[in-house]
Amino acid sequence: MTINHRRSLANRYNALKSTGPRSVAGKRASSQNSRKHGLNSAPEFESSSEYRALVELIAEEGFSAFACADIASGLLNYRRVMDAYYDTYTSPEPVDEFLRDVNVKGSITIFRELLIPSGSEPADVREMAAFFASMQRQERRKGGPVSRRNADTHKLIRYQRNGIARLSRAVRQG
Amino acid sequence: MLYNVHFGVYVDVAMPVEDKSKSLLPFLSSPKLLPNESEAEFQSGLQSLLSELDNPSPLAVALVSQLNECLWWIRRHTVDKELLLHEAMARLLSREGSNWMGSGNSKLSVALERYLDGSSDNDQAALIEEALVDANLTLSDLRAKAFKDAARHIKMVDDLIHRQHQTMRHLQRSIDSIDYKSRLIKRMDLELAALESKQPLKGVLSLDDKPS
Repeated sequence: MTINHRRSLANRYNALKSTGPRSVAGKRASSQNSRKHGLNSAPEFESSSEYRALVELIAEEGFSAFACADIASGLLNYRRVMDAYYDTYTSPEPVDEFLRDVNVKGSITIFRELLIPSGSEPADVREMAAFFASMQRQERRKGGPVSRRNADTHKLIRYQRNGIARLSRAVRQG
Repeated sequence: MLYNVHFGVYVDVAMPVEDKSKSLLPFLSSPKLLPNESEAEFQSGLQSLLSELDNPSPLAVALVSQLNECLWWIRRHTVDKELLLHEAMARLLSREGSNWMGSGNSKLSVALERYLDGSSDNDQAALIEEALVDANLTLSDLRAKAFKDAARHIKMVDDLIHRQHQTMRHLQRSIDSIDYKSRLIKRMDLELAALESKQPLKGVLSLDDKPS
C-alpha cells in the first residue's frame, strides 16, 4: 500500500465529514453546481444584434414580419442548443481514476486505522468499505470518457428535437 | 452596417441578397471543431452541399450549414461507437486478467488502442497479448464480449445518430420550402412581367383599370 494511496483514501474519508461551504461566496458558487447547460431558461433574443441582423436578412427573402421574427428566433434558439451540445460533448464529467481502480477490499486496513482511533466500531469500518465499494460501482458503471460524453450529450436530445421542430415549422409556415 | 451574426461573422445588411449568401459563407465556415478535426474538410463538405443549390439565399445558406454540421456530428458519433468498443475491451481485459491493479486501466486502454491501430510498440503488444492469455480470450472473443458489455452506451450513440438524421430531414424540408417559395415568387414575377408587356400592345387595359 503506497503513501499516496493511503493519503488519497484519508482525504476522501475526511471529505465525507464536510458539511458544505460556509462563506457567502462558497455558497453562491456551490448553488451553481447542478447547473448543466442552461437550456431550460427562456432566452431573450429580441434585444440582440444577431437577431436584428437575421430579421433584416430574412425579410429580404419575402417573408412577413411575423415570420421573420419567428425564423430568426428559431434559428438562434437552435444554435443555442447546438452550442450547448458541443460544450457538453467536449467537457464530460472527468473519470475518477483513483476511485475506479482502488482495491476496496485491500484498503480495509486503512479504513480501520482511520476510524478506530476516533472510537468507531468494526461495523463502521465495514460500512465505510461498503460505501466506497458502492461509489466505485457507480463510477465504473459510468464508463470511460467516451461513454460519459455520449451519455451527457444524450440528455440534450429532447432540446435538439424541440429546437429543430420550432425552426422548421417557422420556415415552412413563413 | 456590419452585424455579428452568430459564429462571429460579419454581414453587411445593406448588401444585395446574392452577395450576402456569399458573405455568409466565411461566417458559417468557422464552426466549432475538435482539435484533431480538419477545417478544410468541413468547408469542402459545406461547399459541396451549397453547390447543389441554385443561387442560395442567406437563409438557405444558414440552413445548409446546419445540415453540414449534422453530417459532421454523425461522423463524430460513428467514430465514438468504435471507441466505446475499445473502451469496453480494455475494461474487460483488465477485469478478467490480472492487470487491474498491476498496470492500471488507462495504460491498458492506450496499449489496446495502439494495438488495434497497428501502431503499438513491442511492450504494448506484449502487454495486450499477455492480458489476452491471462483472460483466456482471443481478440474476436473479446470484441464480441465487449459489444455486449457496451450495448447500453452504443444504443445511446445510435440514438444520437438517429436524432441527427431526423434533424437533417427537418432541415431538408425547410430548404425545400424556401426553394419552392423563391421559385414561386420568380414564376409569378415572370408571369406578371409577361402580362404587363402584353398590355401596351393591346392599348386597352392597364392592371388598375376596372373591367367594363
